[in-house]
Amino acid sequence: MPTTLSSQSSPGIEAIIQKHKGTSGALLKVLENVQEEDPKHYLSESSMRSISSLMGLPLSQVYSMATFYSFFNLKPQGRHSIVVCRGTACHTRGSLALLNEALSRMGIKEFKEEEENSATSLDGFASIRTVACFGQCALAPVVMIDGVVKSRMTIGKLVSLLEKMKKGGVE
Amino acid sequence: MEQKLISISVDGKKIEVDPGMNLIDACALAGASVPSLCFMKDISANASCGVCVVEVEGAKALVRSCVQKPVEGMKIRTAGPRVMSARRTAVELLLANHPTDCLSCIRSGTCELRVLAETLGVRASRYPKLKKFPPPDTSTEGLVRDDSKCILCGRCVAACAETQSVHAIAFAGRGARTRVTSFMDKGLANSPCIQCGQCSVVCPTAAITEKDQSSEVMAALADPRLTMIIQTAPAIRASLGEALGMPPGSLVTGKMVAALRRLGFAKIFDTQFSADLTIMEEGTEFIQRVQTGGTLPMITSCSPGWINFIETFYPELLSHLSSCKSPQQMFGAVAKTFYAQKTGIDPASLRVVSIMPCTAKKGEAGRPEMDSAYRWWREKAEKDGTKMSREHYRDVDWAITTRELARMIRQSAIDMASLPEENFDSSLGESTGAATIFGNTGGVMEAALRTVYEILEGKALPQTDFLPVRGLQGIKTAEVPVAGMKVKVAVAHGLKNARVLLDDIAAGKSDYHFIEVMACPGGCIGGGGQPVLPDIGKKLARNRSLYMEDLRLPERKSHQNAEVSALYKEFLGQPAGHLSHELLHTKYKARIV
Repeated sequence: MPTTLSSQSSPGIEAIIQKHKGTSGALLKVLENVQEEDPKHYLSESSMRSISSLMGLPLSQVYSMATFYSFFNLKPQGRHSIVVCRGTACHTRGSLALLNEALSRMGIKEFKEEEENSATSLDGFASIRTVACFGQCALAPVVMIDGVVKSRMTIGKLVSLLEKMKKGGVE
Repeated sequence: MEQKLISISVDGKKIEVDPGMNLIDACALAGASVPSLCFMKDISANASCGVCVVEVEGAKALVRSCVQKPVEGMKIRTAGPRVMSARRTAVELLLANHPTDCLSCIRSGTCELRVLAETLGVRASRYPKLKKFPPPDTSTEGLVRDDSKCILCGRCVAACAETQSVHAIAFAGRGARTRVTSFMDKGLANSPCIQCGQCSVVCPTAAITEKDQSSEVMAALADPRLTMIIQTAPAIRASLGEALGMPPGSLVTGKMVAALRRLGFAKIFDTQFSADLTIMEEGTEFIQRVQTGGTLPMITSCSPGWINFIETFYPELLSHLSSCKSPQQMFGAVAKTFYAQKTGIDPASLRVVSIMPCTAKKGEAGRPEMDSAYRWWREKAEKDGTKMSREHYRDVDWAITTRELARMIRQSAIDMASLPEENFDSSLGESTGAATIFGNTGGVMEAALRTVYEILEGKALPQTDFLPVRGLQGIKTAEVPVAGMKVKVAVAHGLKNARVLLDDIAAGKSDYHFIEVMACPGGCIGGGGQPVLPDIGKKLARNRSLYMEDLRLPERKSHQNAEVSALYKEFLGQPAGHLSHELLHTKYKARIV
């Protein structure tokens, strides 16, 4: 392994690696767990450096996996998550309008769907991301709010959910 | 265990093949050459480009021959409309996002994509350009990465990971966002990249190339205020001809000298001169380490990619490295002190250009500690109380690769083949056969053994050739009786092989006295600055050519180099003496990435 920049010593990461040691696909599980336990729900450069040196894997390989799966976040995430399905069924039932509504309610101006799949509001309140399909096409359009799938979404319903979120109802 | 052969038919021709081989190689055995952009024998088989498809009777879809193994009775068709149409589509898809600046592209003459598009009759791509690319990565001194020209074949990733075990680059992202990149997309300079350039010789396009400085050198040649002198590395004489269209392994020493003279260099000198000098210093250092209980095994230090590697990956073993600078840097230091003083040329207006088989040499020349001549003149001026121009200069001003020199020769319309054979200039131009073989894996070791033996034994070697350290096996070892001692030596080339020896040293299990490491497979003849797309045959031809040159030269041992002896007598004093240490030796430090 190359001599790397000192990465924050992280007993949490060490424990996670220990837990998955020797299992197949260990890196994937480690990345998942490290992201889950991160307060900002993302894989920071320093945590990836720790994972690389503790697991004896090249940095480039860790980065390769972290960037392959859209599930992994490389930027700090907001406290709340809003996932808008942009699959074909949801799209035909108006998911673009839902996405735009969510973006404007959260004050996110810059979001190019073809380039990125997530954006976080400046105040760190919420992250909005798009996915290709939840597999809930019969209930289209669907939006996932803080891990719960909400089906047959309308702009009205979305707005009231987001209002509730802002008032702390969901938090 | 012997594999049972199976029989297949390729375009109606029946052949017997090893079932473990790739179909693409099996087709080649049958005389059918199947094109491919991502497959490269001994480097990578990714099935990513889709060009190597063939038709297999009974199979529903076309088969990618680079990853398919042959099966008994398989009937293969390597051409035909279905295959051609699929190949053309694959190339069109690659061209969709590829720039069309072929006219001015650095790889125009050697681009596999361009040749394939032309061969397949692809005139335009039916597909729209959708991708956007970041600007080229110019963060390092040796290499440039241009994503817009990358076809994601994965050869560079395989060379970096499998041949060199460096893993500076890998695929990142997915789908249309897939790219070859370093950690956090921070560029090669912020990665473990050691600048060996193996990626640049396997790249089918111009996605990874040397940082071309040929036009800077041409501009300097036109500047009347400068005295331009040049040194040529051993391996260049065995590869420059090939880069200019001659058969691989063409030995062009004399014609190369003639070409350089026609380009306008004031003096044509030889890095082989300083390779002999290196042997005097390194041989003496080795004897001293053995006699005084110094750190062993001692490891050679000529290959800058290797130096970058050990500084990055094994900093705890740096004390094993010989403190000798590489021949390139020894030359620069001697040229701007001894030679400048002797000829009365102002070292500030002297420019040293080196022709190297290597992309890492560019970075080596730029290392801040490689300004010994400047420091020497400054000290001298202080001592003598004279004034010195404040302009800082380095020992070697430009290190350009074989490919860049070939470009300069072509631009100048010099026809190498018709040039006469000319000789190097004195007094930094003489060399022995020992210096020539520096370009081959095992060559530095053999050169050192020739001299160390004769110094310690005080008599001529019974046999000049040390055959066990020759050849292209990854790791070679030998035991050489010298002065009552059995000297155990090992030679590794390709850094994955070097790791094996280093891990043993780190574990305290190495009983070698002397180890030679060269970063590139084959040594400098397979260097990252050499003609692109080499195969084992080309490397063997270059390798043999250097051993031929060794036999051709009147002297074959470094200590028999009269100009080197004169340098010690007139200037340096003793090998490993005080002035040698000031000018010819260096220090290493851990590199953190």
